[in-house]
Amino acid sequence: MTRVMVVDDHPMWREGVARDLTEAGFEVVATTGEGRQAVRIAGAALPDVVVLDLQLPDTSGVEVISGLLAAVPGVRVLMLSASGEQQSVLDAVKAGATGYLVKSASSQEFLEAVRRTAAGDAVFTPGLAGLVLGEYRRLATAPDEADDDGAPKLTDRETEVLRLVAKGLSYRQIAERLGLSHRTVQNHVQNTLGKLQLHNRVELTRYAIERGLDDA
Amino acid sequence: MGTTRGLQGAYRLGVPDALQVPLWRAIAVFRFASMAFVVVSVIRNIRDYTHPVAAVPAVAVLVLWSAATAALYARPAWRKWPLLVADLLVTLALLLATPWVVGRAALDAGAPTLAVAWQAGPVLTWAVSGGRRRGAVAALILGAADLIVRDKLTQSSITGLMLMLLAGVAVGHVARLTVESEQRLQRAAELEAAGRERERLARGIHDSVLQVLAMVQRRGAHLDGEAGELARLAGEQEAALRALIATSVPAGELAGPDVDLRTVLDRYAAPEVSIAAPATPVLLPAQLAKEVGAAVGAALDNVARHCTAGTRAWVLLEDEPDGVIVSVRDDGPGIAEGRLAEAAGQGRLGVAQSIRGRIADLGGTVEIVSGRGQGTEVELRVPRVTP
Repeated sequence: MTRVMVVDDHPMWREGVARDLTEAGFEVVATTGEGRQAVRIAGAALPDVVVLDLQLPDTSGVEVISGLLAAVPGVRVLMLSASGEQQSVLDAVKAGATGYLVKSASSQEFLEAVRRTAAGDAVFTPGLAGLVLGEYRRLATAPDEADDDGAPKLTDRETEVLRLVAKGLSYRQIAERLGLSHRTVQNHVQNTLGKLQLHNRVELTRYAIERGLDDA
Repeated sequence: MGTTRGLQGAYRLGVPDALQVPLWRAIAVFRFASMAFVVVSVIRNIRDYTHPVAAVPAVAVLVLWSAATAALYARPAWRKWPLLVADLLVTLALLLATPWVVGRAALDAGAPTLAVAWQAGPVLTWAVSGGRRRGAVAALILGAADLIVRDKLTQSSITGLMLMLLAGVAVGHVARLTVESEQRLQRAAELEAAGRERERLARGIHDSVLQVLAMVQRRGAHLDGEAGELARLAGEQEAALRALIATSVPAGELAGPDVDLRTVLDRYAAPEVSIAAPATPVLLPAQLAKEVGAAVGAALDNVARHCTAGTRAWVLLEDEPDGVIVSVRDDGPGIAEGRLAEAAGQGRLGVAQSIRGRIADLGGTVEIVSGRGQGTEVELRVPRVTP
């Protein structure tokens, strides 16, 4: 049974989500309304998937995601957000979240997203695809990144797939249109996230070394 | 630097005309300094005067009026016509009394008038209260009176007139500038306050209303009838509110001529319309952004008009180095092949053509891809610089 932790500061929403998950056969191992507490209890609760509201009162989504990944290596984070705060969504993805859903999504969409996140798939909304496309474009044109071979790039195929995701096509429709298998489409989407997260980790490490923090 | 900070400090307290206060103070200082100059010159020349005793009340008027104007002009309510006219008349009276008190002989010998230098006071007050033109009028009136008193044109009296005229115009100009910059400061402060208030509201709305609306929509989405309708309405309001609070300050108001195209497109967000865009601003000249926004609006209208209710649409905004790409896709029935060309052939331009026209005017291109059962995709490519 998939173990799920729900982190959301709104009690009504939190209980509703937990109930839906339980009814659908998931095991809700913990619920909390605070990011720091989520990081503290994650080590004991050992969730497979964390459903995380990005706008928590006590700390940023990035901090919670980093903390969760450190406490439970391999945990998958599906983030939810009510308002389209785009930069924070992008930051969360770079920090290691693998799924994103707006809160207005239906219960069915939500449960499907949790299932797919648990299975290791990247759960993209068209909005997230637009953000990721924009981020690759920014990395390609940013002056200090352009001559740097380390800046991640999308292959033509990945760009094509990501654009179709952003235009609302399902993986099945994309597979049909491009003559690929469903699995291949999924891999392409996942790779776009993977490269971004890897780049983010490399950047953080480089920053730490430059500042001499690796000695500490 | 210190002065600037002081001005802003006074401004924040909400004192009206705060930026003019230093100007009025400077005029008072000028009056006292020039008053001292007149007193010294009277003492030096009083032996040569025709009526030396009359010089005493004249100097008394001079001193009293300097003190009175310093006190009265300090209050904004008094900076009006009655005081301004009285100021001019008192100065004129002193000037015109000069020939009798000082005497023609002493004046011709080069003795200064009873209002020398001090007579520039009203020129400055008129200029500060009403700008360049008013300052020039006061300078001309007093200059003319000065020439009459002198009875003959000398180089120094002409120079005096010109200097007064210059002072009136220059100070009037500065006064006008302070009024304008004050208005700008006011506008900036209002914008800042509005932005802060908006952020506060956005936080509040996010924490309460949005959560509940999303919850209602989610709980009722699968219900039929009235409950389902309520859920749908809640969803629409959630999306509308989310779009409203998503942008902190209307970009056009602060960023000058460039507008973030994302904020323009965000207005179209709805439960059935998804907007995908980069996380960083996509800046375009305001007019260009408006046109692109209108084209996207037309494309979405087209979807709403020709497709069944519940048809979804996706807008994707991409920021390329040489321009922007905006795609609008729907999952409606699509347009049969040849249907677009057929409609155009019959002279019915239709929405698609009006979009083409709009974008062509911007030097861009439109590509429409559609097929039965595949929905319709409209892709707009607009260069950053219009030809």
